[in-house]
Amino acid sequence: MSTIMIVEDDPKINQLLQNQLEKYGYHTVNVEHFDRVMDVFTEVRPDLVLLDVNLPKFDGFYWCRQMRQESNCPILFISARDSKMDQVMALENGADDYITKPFDYDVVMAKIRSQLRRAYGLYAPQEGERTVEVAGLKLFLERMELSIHDNKVELSKKEVLLLEALMNQYPRVVSRERLLEKLWDEQFVDENTLNVYITRVRGKLKDMGLEGAVETVRGSGYRLKAVWEDGQ
Amino acid sequence: MKLFLRDQWAFAAFFLVQLILLLLIFALDGYWNESLMIYAVFLSVFFAGAFMVVRYLTHRSVYQRLSNPVESLEELMQTHGNAALSRALDETFMEHYRLYKEQLHAYENKQRDYTTFIQQWVHQMKTPISVIHLLLQNEDDPTAESVREEVDRIKRGLETVLYIARLDRFEQDFLIEPVTLHSLAQNVLAENKRLFIRNQVYPELKVDGHWRVESDEKWLSFVLTQLLTNAVRYSAGKSNKVTIRAYELGPSVALEVQDYGIGIPPEDTRRVYQPYFTGENGRKYPESTGMGLYLVKEICGRLHHGVELESEVGVGTTVRIIMSAVLPTLQDRKKAES
Repeated sequence: MSTIMIVEDDPKINQLLQNQLEKYGYHTVNVEHFDRVMDVFTEVRPDLVLLDVNLPKFDGFYWCRQMRQESNCPILFISARDSKMDQVMALENGADDYITKPFDYDVVMAKIRSQLRRAYGLYAPQEGERTVEVAGLKLFLERMELSIHDNKVELSKKEVLLLEALMNQYPRVVSRERLLEKLWDEQFVDENTLNVYITRVRGKLKDMGLEGAVETVRGSGYRLKAVWEDGQ
Repeated sequence: MKLFLRDQWAFAAFFLVQLILLLLIFALDGYWNESLMIYAVFLSVFFAGAFMVVRYLTHRSVYQRLSNPVESLEELMQTHGNAALSRALDETFMEHYRLYKEQLHAYENKQRDYTTFIQQWVHQMKTPISVIHLLLQNEDDPTAESVREEVDRIKRGLETVLYIARLDRFEQDFLIEPVTLHSLAQNVLAENKRLFIRNQVYPELKVDGHWRVESDEKWLSFVLTQLLTNAVRYSAGKSNKVTIRAYELGPSVALEVQDYGIGIPPEDTRRVYQPYFTGENGRKYPESTGMGLYLVKEICGRLHHGVELESEVGVGTTVRIIMSAVLPTLQDRKKAES
C-alpha cells in the first residue's frame, strides 16, 4: 500500500483528498503543524507527496527543495496559482508535476498513479486491482473486463467508463450530461455517440444474459438494474 | 526668434523713445550739431543692438524651449544655459518634473497594489471553489448539477478578472514559443466540456496535428476559451455545432471558430471590440459582459496576432485569429523529402 503525504493548509480540501485517496486504497498522512513538514516527511518516508504552494511560514517551493535533499519520491504540486512562472518554479525546485485548482479527482488520481508507476514500477501489486462491484457483477477497471459468476466479457475503454459511472451510482440514475462528461476524454462525444455506446454496453450485458440491466429513465438518464438478482 | 522679438519690442521702443527724447532736449536747448547727433544715435543703436544680440544668444535655448511644444518629459530635464533666467527656468522645470513624477509613482504604486490585491483575491476564491468542486464530484442529483453549473460560471468569471488584471503587466507574463494548435484546442475543449454538454452544442475539430504557431499558450488558450464561450452561448437552441479549424492564410496560419448561431447585426459588428459593448445580443443574453471580444482583441494585439470577424444574422459568426506559423520542423521537412 502506497503512503501519500498531503501538505495542504485548507482543512476541507485536505480532508476531501484524504477520503478520496483512502477510497482507492492509499494510506494518507497529513501535516498539522506547518513548521514541522520535514519532521513528518522524514518520519513517514512517503511514497508520494501532494504539496500546496501557498502555505503558512514557508511556501511549497521551499519544502520541495528540502524534501529533494532527502528523497527522490514523486512530488506533485497542487495550487491555485496557474501562471507559467509558478509551474516553472515548481519544476525547477524538483517537483514532478503541477496540478492547478480547482481540479478533478480523476486528474489527481491519474497523475498519482502514473507517478507511482514511473517511480516504483508496477503499481498493481501495491494497490491491488481496482474493481467496482454491484451484487456480484464485477468490473475490473485495469483489465477492462466485466464478470458475473464465471461469465466474462471484454470491454473497450469507453464502455468501462460508462459502466463505472453506472455501477458507482447504483441504484441511482446517472444523467446523460454526466455520462457525456465522463466519456469526453480527448475526443469529444456527442449525444448520438453516447447512444451508440449505450447500445454496445447493453449488447455486451445481453451476451452475459443480463438483458434490461441498463434502464432508460425518460428525460433524466440511465440506471443500472440488478436484473440478475431476481433470476438467481 | 519670434518670441524673442515679441518679448523685446517694448524695450526697443522704450529705447528709441528715450533716444529721441534726449536728442530733442539737446535740440530745444539750441545745441544742434547734426553729425555729432548722427554719431551719437549710431553709437547708441549699435550698443543697444549688441546688447540685444548678446541677450538673444545667451537666452536662445530658453526662448526656443518656450516657443516649441513639449514632446516628452525628458525635454524638461535639459539645461538651458548659465544665465540667471535660464537657471531659474531650469529649476522650475525640475521642480515640476519632480512633483509630477512623485504623483505618477504614487499612482503607479496604488495601481500595482490594487492589481496584486485582485490577483490574490482571485486565488483565494479558488480555494472555496475547489472545495465545492470536489464536494460535488460524486453527487449526481439535479441540484448538484445546477450548483456545478453555477460554479463553472464563477470559475469563468474569476478567470476573466485574473486575465484582465494580468493584462496590465502583460510584458512580464508572456512567453512566445511554438504552440501546437491541435493539442491546444483539445485542452481548451476538455476544460470547457460541461459548457458544451449543457448547451447541447458539440465541437467539430478540424485542426491538423502539424499546425504550429508562434504564440503564448496560456493567453492563446484564454482567447480560444472566450471565442468558444461566445460561440456556444449564441448557438444554444439554434444549432448544435461549432467548428474549430486551422488553415494556411498567405504566410500565416488562421485559427477559426465558426458557429451557426444567431449572428451579430451589421450595425453592431464594428463595435464588438469595445469594452462593455454588448449590443443587440447582449440584451437577449443576460450573461454577456461585453468583455470577451474586447479582451480577445487586446490580447491578440499584444501577441501580434490579427483578429477578423464575419457575421450574418441568423446564419452565424466566424472569428479568425491570424498568427505567424512556425517554420516546419526538421522532421516535417524530412517527411516531405522522402
